[in-house]
Formats: sequence, structure tokens, C-alpha cells
Amino acid sequence: MKLVATEEERDLAAAMRDLFATHCPTTLVRALREPGGERFPQKLWEALVRAEVLALPFAADVGGSDGTLDDLAVVYAEAGRALCPSVVLNTIHLGLAIDALAAPDRRAARLPSLIRGDLRGTVAVASPYDATDVRPRLRAERTADGLRVTGRLDYVGDADLADAVLTTAAVETYGEPDEVLALLVDPAAPGVQLTPLPTSADDRWHEIVLDGVLVADDAVLGAVGEEELRRVALTVRALQCVDMAAGAETVIARTVAHTCSREQFGRPIGSFQAAQHLVADMHIATQAARLAARSAVFWLGRGRPGVRETAIAVLKAATAYRRVTADAHQLHGGMGYVLETDLHLWSERARRLGVEGGGVDVAAGWLA
Amino acid sequence: MDFALDADQRQWLQEVRAFLREHVTPALVAELAEHDLEKRDGELAAFRRKIGEKGWFGLNWPTEYGGLGLGPIHQHLLVSEFERWGVPGPDLTVTSVAPMIMRHGTEQNKAEFLPPIARGEMVCAVGYSEPDAGTDLASLRTRAVLDGDEWVINGSKIWNSGAQRCTHEWLCVRTNPDVPKHKGISVIIVPIDAPGVSIRPLEAWSGYRTNETFFDDVRVPATNLIGEVDRGWRYITGALDLERGALTNAGDLRRAVDDLWALAREPRRDGAVPATDPGVRRRLAELDADVEVATLMGFEAASLLADGTIPSVEVSTEKVFTSELRQRIAETALDLLGPDGLLGHNTAAAPLHGAFERLYRAAPLLRFGAGTNEVLRDVIAQRGHRMPSYGR
Repeated sequence: MKLVATEEERDLAAAMRDLFATHCPTTLVRALREPGGERFPQKLWEALVRAEVLALPFAADVGGSDGTLDDLAVVYAEAGRALCPSVVLNTIHLGLAIDALAAPDRRAARLPSLIRGDLRGTVAVASPYDATDVRPRLRAERTADGLRVTGRLDYVGDADLADAVLTTAAVETYGEPDEVLALLVDPAAPGVQLTPLPTSADDRWHEIVLDGVLVADDAVLGAVGEEELRRVALTVRALQCVDMAAGAETVIARTVAHTCSREQFGRPIGSFQAAQHLVADMHIATQAARLAARSAVFWLGRGRPGVRETAIAVLKAATAYRRVTADAHQLHGGMGYVLETDLHLWSERARRLGVEGGGVDVAAGWLA
Repeated sequence: MDFALDADQRQWLQEVRAFLREHVTPALVAELAEHDLEKRDGELAAFRRKIGEKGWFGLNWPTEYGGLGLGPIHQHLLVSEFERWGVPGPDLTVTSVAPMIMRHGTEQNKAEFLPPIARGEMVCAVGYSEPDAGTDLASLRTRAVLDGDEWVINGSKIWNSGAQRCTHEWLCVRTNPDVPKHKGISVIIVPIDAPGVSIRPLEAWSGYRTNETFFDDVRVPATNLIGEVDRGWRYITGALDLERGALTNAGDLRRAVDDLWALAREPRRDGAVPATDPGVRRRLAELDADVEVATLMGFEAASLLADGTIPSVEVSTEKVFTSELRQRIAETALDLLGPDGLLGHNTAAAPLHGAFERLYRAAPLLRFGAGTNEVLRDVIAQRGHRMPSYGR
């Protein structure tokens, strides 16, 4: 037990902070959401591949760096501060899911290309409303060389940029119990219909409808159990909590900087006790979120089911990030309400990450 | 960051639990429920002697001062477990006074005071607040004047808890009235039985006894001054940070929420089972989550202490969080139990011997005590985020 960042963790954080500062300025974040603009952050992607970030949590046998989930949490914190585009994190989720769910030969076939930056995608194994609900949304029947898959997936992030969406399908065989298979769906395959579900923040969620889509045998990753699927979904959720807590820290820092330079009544507004107490409460909520999120990642990385730990992380992080961004708007006043000061970018991330996979009401239900 | 207890820490926890299983007797629990910390030479006194025999009053001190040389994490584990069992463990003398003597005291201070503290023979009341110097502690006026080789002390202290059963005062005094208020303060150890010391009991809403203690031409040797003259403010603020850390341990809250879950699943007097209400379950889930977080905050502060820093911002954060959580737990219990929640320990019908009724009355103390939460929010903003001081 030692709740202090190790030297390695501090070094990794500093390196990631530099990388994002160089390659992920808010101008990029904003450009990616422009209607009709380029959706893929090519230069950031290349920098992340070069820095072996996509290799970080995977073992050396597939070209990974033998890092841990805790190391990945350090990356997520910096990604959260810098508003790292979701396509990067969704691809890491895809890697984690392949690593955890795929049969050895499928894992060995897919992970190296993901690590090299050649396979991008996302994961849709749980309800977007509840990460613990991992019932398959798709049905499949076996064919001579794979599966024929039908059904609908909701709120799949960055499906338009994905080479592969990892999801599950139930296979019914007469006289045998249903089997759940993990598989990779190619959004460009015949019979797949993508419908964007854009948010006001231009997050590119999609509805994916599959109508008898053929999934070749090599894209079928293997049979999976509910518990391992839930661990994948909860790992994603816990990492998102790290993202949220760190994003909230950045918002606090920006808010403090504003209130200490903005003067009214002849003094910085940050010298008023009412403002300081808002900041103190933002700080307390954020530290609670940070500890809860890191704890959840830690225990998921050590084999716990993680439902309880992730529930606590979501309760604290989703609440804290929303509260911190809302109070940041209050302390910035009009200066934070106009788009050009960027504050809304964090507020929108807080809103999305707060609910994706289950927000506070849902997470409380995991505990009670 | 490592959230898992290592083998050594797990073994330590087992040792502490084994001790508690053996020595927290029904007689001790009954005495604590009835007398709080009051009864002389009773079960509690015997229990404290047992702790002393284990050497646990100096568990985190270096061995050269008679301690066991264990770290802040060990202390935190022990205190949490004691809190969870609802029994008093090492008090402020051990957790905040002694470390300040080690850090700032003269060689004579260390030789004279640390060994008896380790043996449990020297117990200090902490004399900080005065009737006109509470949150604005640096305005304190109790005066100490050097007369030959003795300090002569005049003044009074309030909220002087434990004075009626301690052996000494860890007393903050003004030694120099001619400099800015933070710069003329010193700390002097005063034997409680010194001529001129008198104690007036003050009974608090929780049933807790505290005191106002008067010092009337009290004379102590000049060598009883801790460290250097006029440097006491640093020692007090350091001790207060440690005190907040020790006082805000979430061990008792873990037990409270576990107990509350258990109570919620039992029928009330009207036959209703509160836990069947989703709103009740939701409130309990949030309290449960927050207790886990408070526990992590405690471990974080202990980890930073183990690295040699006094984590004032982290401890302030923890203190505000846990004290407000304690109040929310008490409020939830009251709402959940309804009129049953008002029954006190003197009624056989009281749920859990009135534990939650008591908690409701006990909760306000830790919000304003050991640094009011408003000042600690200032500390978080000003020390944690470098926001400007507004001249407090």
C-alpha cells in the first residue's frame, strides 16, 4: 500500500504530457469536430505509435511493451487533460478487448497490427447505458466459413473511422445451450448500415444495423463468458473515470488561473472567499474521483471483478467532472461561456463520459 | 500507486485485530457507551495499559526514542482498526505532540518527554484555543514570561479536552507581544498538577466532556519550552496537520455504514424494511462509496507522511470530506430510522444501542474542530492552488 506516484509513473506522465502538448492542442480537438473536416488525427496518431502508447499494455509476444493497466491509467490521465480524441482511446479499448477475449491465434493475428497503428476500431460489448449489461445485441448463425450476423448496436463511438468493431453475438444451435461469440465487424462490409448519432458536441456515435452480415472465420475471436466481457467493459469504464478525474484537474487549473488574473472591485476575483470555497469543493470532489478511479483500475488489473470499485469510481468521477465544469463556467462567467476560450470542450467531455456506459444512477445500482 | 496491502502490512493488521478481539470486551464496550471517556481506573484504563504494553503508543517513532520504528501506514492501519471497533487508540499525545517534539524539540525535550509518552505515562491535553482565540488561533493571549530559569504563565484555554485525566498540557503561549501575532508564540509543557492550574468542566451536546483550564501564575522550568522560543506557530500548525490526519480517520465511518446497511434490512417498529426502498438503497450506496474514498484519502495522506512530507492540503481535503460525510451518514440514519432514530442508549428499544442517535450529536464536532472546514477550504485554495490570501 503506497498511494504515491512512483518515479516511473511520474516520468511516463511527463512524457505523455509533452506529447499531448505538442500534438494535441485544443485547435486540433476543435478542427476534428468541424462539420465536413478531417476526422482522423493523423499526426497525433503517428506520434502515439512512435511513442509506443498503443503497445503499452500488451505483452512482448505480440509486440507490446509489457506495461500494466496502471501504466495505461497514467496515459489516460494525460489524455483526459488534453482532450485526446476518442478514436485513440477507442482503439486502445479494442486492443484490451482482443487481448482479454480472443483465442490465442486470433490475438496473435490482430494485436501486432493494432500496436503498429494499422488497425483502428472500437468496442461494443456492453450496453451504452450500463457497462455491466453484456448481453449480446446481435444474433448469429453458423455458415460454412464463418457467421451470418444480424441485429443493431447503439452508440458505437467512431464507427465511421473503425476498421473493426469488436462485439458479441449469440449463436443458437438446436438442442444445445446458446453460445456467445466475440467477433470483429467491419463497418464497411456489405449489409452493414451506419447511421450517425451526432451529439451537439459532434461526438460521432453511430447506430450500426447488421442484416445478415457475413463475418469470416478469422474475425470470429472465440467463445466468451459474461464475466470476462464485463471485466472488459468495466476496465474501459474505469479508465474513463481516470480521464474524467484528470480532466477535472485541468479545468480547476484553468479556472484558478482565470480567477487570479481577472480583477473586479480592484482585486482578483480569486481572492474572494466565495470563489476560493467553490475551488476547494471542486478540488475535494476531484481528488475523490482520482483516488477512486485509480483504485478501480488497479484492482481490475489484478483480477478482481471490479464491479464495486468501478461503481465507486463512476459515482465520484462523473459527479466531480460535471460539477467542476459547471462551477468553472460559474467562476469564468461570460469569459468561459464563449467558445473561443475552450472551456466548453471539457464540459462536453464531462457530459459524454459521465453517461457513456452508465452514469451515477446506474453505478449506484451496481453497489446497492 | 499501490493500493494493495503488502504481506507485512497484512500481518500487522492481523496482529491488531487479534489484539482487539482479545481485549475489546463487552465490559469495555458497556463502559464506553455509558461513560464516554470519563471513568477513572475502569475498563478503559486497563485497555490503555494493554496498548502501552504492546509498545503501540510509540509505534511510528524511531527506536532511539523508545518507539517501534514502524511507519505512518502502520499507524494508519492501527488507528483505522481501533476506530472501526469503536475504541480509543493512541491519542493526540502520541500522534501529533510527540512527532513535533521529535522534529523540533531540544535534546533535553526529547530525553525528558518522549520516553514517558511511549510508556503511556505522560498524556497531554492540547491547549490551543482561548475564549477569544478560536479559529483565529494566532491571536491567543495566554502569556508566558521568563523569570530567572522559570516561565510564569497566566491565561486560560478552552476546549481543553482530556485535561481532567491528562498528566501535562501541550500549551501554546504568547512569549513575545511586540512582534506580529504569528511570530511571538511558543509551546511549553506544563504539568497538570502544577500549582495555579484549575479546570472547569464543559459538557458538550454529544455527551463529551471538555474543559476550560485556567493558569494563574503557574511556574515551570525554562527547559519545558519546546524547541526555540517564539517559533511555536510552526510547531502547532504541524501538529494540527497531524491531528487532522489522526482525527479524520474513516474507520468509524466504515463501521457506521456497514451497521446502517444491516439496520436498513431489519424491520423497524412499524414493520417497514427501509432497504426495500430504492431511494434508501441509493443513499446508502453513495455513503458506501464515499467511505471507500475517505479510506483512500487516509491511505494517501499516510503514504505522503511516509515519504517525509506533512501533507497539509491532502489532510485538509480528507478532513473536510470525512467530517461532512459523517454528518450525512448521521442524517441518513435519522431519515431511515424515523422516530426509532431518536432513541438513546438509555432505552432498550434503541436501534444499535443508540449508536446513530449519538453519531448525530457527535458529527458537528469534527466539522468545526481541529480547524474549521471553512478555514481548511481556504487552505486548499490558497496552499493547494496558490489563490491569493485575502488577509485572514
